[in-house]
Amino acid sequence: MSLASTDTMKAGPSMLARLVARQELALLLCLILVIAFFSFTAENFFSVRNITNVLGQASLALTAGIGCAIVFISGEVDISIGSLLATIALPLIIIMNDTNSLVLGISGALLFGLIIGVVNGYLTAYAGINSLIVTLGTMFIMRGGVYLYTGQRAIPDDAALDSFIALSDGRLFNVVPYSAVIAIVLLAVFAYVMQHRPFGRQIYAVGGNPEVARLAGYDVRRVKFTCFIISALLATVAGIILAARVGSAQHTAGLNFEFQVVAATVLGGVSLAGGIGSLTGMALGVLILQFLSNGLRGLGLPTEWQLVITGMIIIAAVAFDEAKRRRAIGG
Amino acid sequence: MDMSELTQSSAPRRFIGGQLLGSSQLVLGVILAVLCMAISIAAPQFYSEANIIAILRQCALVLIVASGMTMLIITAEVDLSVGASLAFVGCIGMAVLNSTHSLTLGLLAALAFAGAVGLFNGLVVTRLKVNSLIATIGTMMMLQGGVYLFTREAVQNHHRLASFTVLGAGYLGAIPLPVVVAALIFALAAATLRFTTLGRYLYAVGANERAVRLSGVRSQRLKLFAFVVTGLCVGVAGMILSSLMNAGQPTAGRGFELTVIAAVILGGTSLLGGRGSLLGTLLGVLVLKVIDNGIIILGWNQDLQMVVPGIVIILATYLDIVRNRANVG
Repeated sequence: MSLASTDTMKAGPSMLARLVARQELALLLCLILVIAFFSFTAENFFSVRNITNVLGQASLALTAGIGCAIVFISGEVDISIGSLLATIALPLIIIMNDTNSLVLGISGALLFGLIIGVVNGYLTAYAGINSLIVTLGTMFIMRGGVYLYTGQRAIPDDAALDSFIALSDGRLFNVVPYSAVIAIVLLAVFAYVMQHRPFGRQIYAVGGNPEVARLAGYDVRRVKFTCFIISALLATVAGIILAARVGSAQHTAGLNFEFQVVAATVLGGVSLAGGIGSLTGMALGVLILQFLSNGLRGLGLPTEWQLVITGMIIIAAVAFDEAKRRRAIGG
Repeated sequence: MDMSELTQSSAPRRFIGGQLLGSSQLVLGVILAVLCMAISIAAPQFYSEANIIAILRQCALVLIVASGMTMLIITAEVDLSVGASLAFVGCIGMAVLNSTHSLTLGLLAALAFAGAVGLFNGLVVTRLKVNSLIATIGTMMMLQGGVYLFTREAVQNHHRLASFTVLGAGYLGAIPLPVVVAALIFALAAATLRFTTLGRYLYAVGANERAVRLSGVRSQRLKLFAFVVTGLCVGVAGMILSSLMNAGQPTAGRGFELTVIAAVILGGTSLLGGRGSLLGTLLGVLVLKVIDNGIIILGWNQDLQMVVPGIVIILATYLDIVRNRANVG
């Protein structure tokens, strides 16, 4: 805890002030404001149908964002996830077309994801190459590989298995899209691990101060290695959902996806410096951006404005956060 | 040969050898030479005048922006918005040319816009303390959205200024004009980094910002300078690109930022700041573009143009690490 917060506690612990100081609460407030604003201004915004739709759309970034946030917290970055989305769709769709089996298709996709995670993780943690360079490299390699293999044509899902299609338009109790359910379950599991399990504490320790973590007996390399595998596997899940949604393996799938996820994660208060942030924050960051873009569309603004506004919000949010942090340190 | 003679002769040689091998440039130079030889054996037309000019022209745009980017990365910051800015600059420059029919005004508008983008990035990073990776992703999004709000289609050349066409397609003697421009900017940036106090401070800020600040130098100004220089380089490159395409394309420059950064990193400039050189960047650009060219003249699938650089960046960085370990150990 910072000095400033102990001061406020001494001066008279205003419960609200302390809660607002918590990043997640500030983000939640932002989210509520965004939803409230568009509920009054945009038509058909505040309906069960629209809100669950937004959740479904957010499920991709939510799922991949868990991995992105975990890698950030461990002190590294992974910008290969956009290309990964396009890559793992190939084994998924091809195996399903050949075998008519969803399980085999998903297994193939997860195996590919695992291999990508191992490569990213090994090159970063064990070979010692800067993770930005590694994942920039694998981002190129995977996107180029997909272009090469597909000849820049989409591979349609000929099997059209009901269970696979349900991933995109099925809804639990006819309300919540399955993709959102998957994202929420994964989020809950990983949030629990990050906050309450030794492995979560190890990740925070490794990202916060690798030297101290090493002295505390943590295997810094293995922790980082594992984080990259987690990130790749979660991005694989996002890729499977995306493939179900578009009904094919698209060579352009996930272009710029990594930037959206990184932006949402940082908006959620997860620091690139490592050791700081939470999955709850990341999730709120994703939801804020998703509701914002949905609401702006509802207002009839062209999609380009969403890009502009998202960019501004990201810069403003990080700048605001930084200013708050410096004040807290007492600068 | 007796022992003392051996140690005497080998000691300085190891020193010099270590120094030479210690520079990423030598390794890159060897890679470049091997690449050129291999490609020319498989495809003799590699050494034709037309092809060499084509390669140089391809290099020019990347080198112009990479010159600024090298300075910026040496100060331990990075700019991901250069690709989006490149497209926007081309559109704005062309629009101003169309309405004023003045090359000077068009160039000024392009430089002013790109410089302003650099200044904005720099202020956000130095004043608001936003991590430059995030700040410039934000700017990238704003520019990508902004350029479509500015124009939905390519801004066509309605002014038909001959001097504008010369900018991209002209020659100075036997050398394409863009290459001359790139060489000038490169030389200026290299001289600044190598011979001036400003250059030394740029390295110092990247290596240890705190120490520089404590010694009384305004470190934030140095970073701001590097951001603006990068922006101005984008302005020049954007105008050359729009001249080459004879239009301002809002979709131009997609992935350009990654090529530029890849070339700089390949050249041995550290993302952590404080280390790197423009000579390395030049070699990095040449290696990437010779590979691109080789893939084309060997008739290989052009999608390899994405795969091979990816492998090269990782491999080169890894070799750099291995060599540093060997030097230390």
